[in-house]
Amino acid sequence: MENSSQESHLRSDNSVTYESPYTVYAMAVSSTPSPTNLSHQSIALGSFLEDYSNRVDIISFDPDTVSVKTHPTLSFDHPYPPTKLMFQPNRKSSSSSSSSDILASSGDYLRLWEVRESSIEPLSVLNNSKTSEFCAPLTSFDWNDVEPKRIGTSSIDTTCTIWDIEKGVVETQLIAHDKEVYDIAWGEARVFASVSADGSVRIFDLRDKEHSTIIYESPQPDTPLLRLAWNKQDLKYMATIQMDSNKVVILDIRSPTMPVAELERHQASVNAITWSPQSSKHICSAGDDTQALIWELPTVAGPNGIDPLCVYSAGAEINQLQWSAAQPDWIAIAFSNKMQFLKV
Amino acid sequence: MATGVQNQESVPKYLKKQLALTVRNIQWSYAIFWSISTRQPGVLEWDDGYYNGDIKTRKTVQAVELNADQLDLQRSEQLRELYESLSAAQTSPHAIRPSAALSPEYLTATEWYYLVCMSFVFNIDHGLPGRTLSSGQPVWLCNAHCAESKVFSRSLLAKVCAVVTVVCFPFSGGVIELGVTDLVLEDFSLVQWIKTLFLGAQQAIVSNKSIHVSGNNNDLVCPALDPLIIDTKLSPILGCEHLETSFPDDIPDGLEPNQPGEDSFLVQGIDGGASQVQSWQCMDEEFSNCVHHSLNSSDCISQTCADVRNIISLDQEEKNYDNSLQDVDECNQIKLASFDLQNDLHFHAVLSAILKGSHPLILGPRFQNSNKESSFVCWRKNGLVKPQKARDGTPQKLLKKILFFVPHMHDRGLSESPDVNGVRDAVWRPEADDICGNRELPERKRREKINDRLMILKSMVPANSKADKVSILDGTINYLQDLERRVAELESCRELTELETRTKRKPDHVERTSDNYGNNKTTNAKKLYSSKRKTPDADEVDDEIDHVATKDGSTDNITVSMNKNDFIIVLKCPWREGVLLEIMDVLSILSLDCHSVQSFATAGILSLTIKSKYKGSSVAKAGTIKQALQRVAWKY
Repeated sequence: MENSSQESHLRSDNSVTYESPYTVYAMAVSSTPSPTNLSHQSIALGSFLEDYSNRVDIISFDPDTVSVKTHPTLSFDHPYPPTKLMFQPNRKSSSSSSSSDILASSGDYLRLWEVRESSIEPLSVLNNSKTSEFCAPLTSFDWNDVEPKRIGTSSIDTTCTIWDIEKGVVETQLIAHDKEVYDIAWGEARVFASVSADGSVRIFDLRDKEHSTIIYESPQPDTPLLRLAWNKQDLKYMATIQMDSNKVVILDIRSPTMPVAELERHQASVNAITWSPQSSKHICSAGDDTQALIWELPTVAGPNGIDPLCVYSAGAEINQLQWSAAQPDWIAIAFSNKMQFLKV
Repeated sequence: MATGVQNQESVPKYLKKQLALTVRNIQWSYAIFWSISTRQPGVLEWDDGYYNGDIKTRKTVQAVELNADQLDLQRSEQLRELYESLSAAQTSPHAIRPSAALSPEYLTATEWYYLVCMSFVFNIDHGLPGRTLSSGQPVWLCNAHCAESKVFSRSLLAKVCAVVTVVCFPFSGGVIELGVTDLVLEDFSLVQWIKTLFLGAQQAIVSNKSIHVSGNNNDLVCPALDPLIIDTKLSPILGCEHLETSFPDDIPDGLEPNQPGEDSFLVQGIDGGASQVQSWQCMDEEFSNCVHHSLNSSDCISQTCADVRNIISLDQEEKNYDNSLQDVDECNQIKLASFDLQNDLHFHAVLSAILKGSHPLILGPRFQNSNKESSFVCWRKNGLVKPQKARDGTPQKLLKKILFFVPHMHDRGLSESPDVNGVRDAVWRPEADDICGNRELPERKRREKINDRLMILKSMVPANSKADKVSILDGTINYLQDLERRVAELESCRELTELETRTKRKPDHVERTSDNYGNNKTTNAKKLYSSKRKTPDADEVDDEIDHVATKDGSTDNITVSMNKNDFIIVLKCPWREGVLLEIMDVLSILSLDCHSVQSFATAGILSLTIKSKYKGSSVAKAGTIKQALQRVAWKY
């Protein structure tokens, strides 16, 4: 083993690094084969420049040779940094051609882009405001994988908007919280959850828009919860992270307000969490301590808390984490200006 | 369950006492006597033992009265009893487990080691006791926890339980094994001494060529690849340094006869050829040296992934749940999972049968693609040096920027609510249900109160169709500002008419109210407006003059007239000491540069005429100046 104060030893057959010209934050890994090459996977990287002009680049990853390829033509401008990028989930329908993929980005508005073999075409800009004066910038969104025409967005104006992207209209809009909403995640086709600066995790059901359910509130009142991840393999469980906290809080929606587990092995704040796309018990988290930890949640926790299964140390604070749905033994992380694809 | 009864006939009954004395004297942790099994020929099994190691607690499930003599032997008895009860439970899971005096959660790791050893069997010539018996030579194993499993099959168990030194020597048709949790360097004279002194062995067995296996802390093993190791690259095992005291409770009957020629393995129901031992290497600071002689190649049969998968799936199928102790071993399953199980199947086999079911999940994803090693490394509790902290000290810096600052970069309406068509796309505001009541109830009440107040506001404020909090508040703000403006206007008009109608006021006409300003806001204003001014300096008047006249019914008056940035203030107020100074102060605070002041004080009244120029940057309002002066002048 190497000295663990440094980065984990990387070998060329289990990881690949892509160095971007700018800091990367938003990242998406496609769940369907790349339009350029069916055995490759597309990865979209959004830049983070405190500037108006930002870019989103698409690169493709070849798992056989463990290499990435850049595509200079697959790139587009974005006003200010995109807060989230996401590819269309599980595209199986025959309605979309096999040679293109759809990417959604959030920033000032929700935008959809068609990723073709050698170009990216903007599909639509989904803007809810009737006048051009008011727009509520989006902090995050989630693409419903059961009902792929539905995207839910979260905004700093305390609302969540549900879009029907096929028709390009708003399905509904909810005032979700008392303060800015920071993240949103779909559970089923009509159920989503959101976290907010008011420190609560709330579940909403589109069939009953009058009511929402608070399933967790941060122990110190009004401490924002920054990220949320819903376990798509086992819909009972969600994970969330609090501002300035090194804990990953695992919640069971059947038992509100009491977290099922608090994973506290990061040595600095956690930045991103993602559940395994395949296994219902595994979750990966990454944080400012430059580490990405993979945890396995036991049925019952031991007295000293839960230890992670394994760890990866990057060279800098890890800001973003995506577990590839199409290739579940690969995890993508982003730190400073690098993106790494790691074998699990 | 095999008890020691049959075997003890061949061994002096006081063996236990001898073992006890031996171990206590040399202050080691345990002594075990392995003897040839009567049920299975050619197999060494646990016969008797004495435990002298750490004990966590003397607490027992049932309170047992003891005297001092019995106390010594009692622990070993209790451990044996526990083992038997557990294996009885294992074989017949539905039967009520016979109660043992000891409860599993009270055991230390070393006790567990001792306990687990009871389940082991060794073929002659296999494993440490087996080889000892066949060779007839004592064996001294240092760093047992780092030994290869070829050499010492319980090495991982030893590692987990912190047993470091193990010594075996043949005795009386069986093998005596002594173990300790400290490192004791090899010293065969000790063995001899034990033998002669305590066990009455007359013949000197020790020869010069005693086999020994020792570990060396400072070297690194060269990863000479044993051809038997499968093509999977092996990553080092970084298990827990010590096991939690709550440990497996489910010890199966160790005498499954269906595994050919192997060291102890306790997996049940595995088909014949499938259980194999996979050798592994410690490539860490510690390592073990392996003496390759006399090792049966059947000890380490290379393992293919397919076989492992079989085993995993089989383990998964066999879940013998002992409900009463389920909570105890979950902890161990985690510990188990922290080992790199892919590489040491034997250990996995041993413990997975002990623990309740295995964890195929941890192996599942790994086995997808067994050709490539993972970038992730096993997590070690204390192994990691504190990694670098965030360099500039802000935690979650990028995440916070994305959430807090980036949205505001889009510098259009930040907190404006989206413009919603009230008819169709109504904005819903779900009422939040706090499921878990008590703590939330006051919070919910507070929210409801807030919502109620907002509704009231909404009803008071005209022309506000939107229902959301932000626009209600915005509307209220606008309305208030509007009202203020209107009142100011009306106020000025009224005062002007007052000025018109009023003639010279007598100084003694007193109608002072202390809070003049507020009251008069609500009086009706006459809309008469005259362009005539009432200030003494008439020659400086222009057409664009703002009049702000005095209030009703007061002899004291103040007039502030404004011509662009020039202010002329005419003031009559009751004289008191220092009032002039205060007035000048106020004016300078208001950025009025006074270039001409005329003042008369007669009959207690101060008449003041001040010409000043406004030097401030913002727009000056006559009303503001007047208010300020009033406050000063009529202060009591």
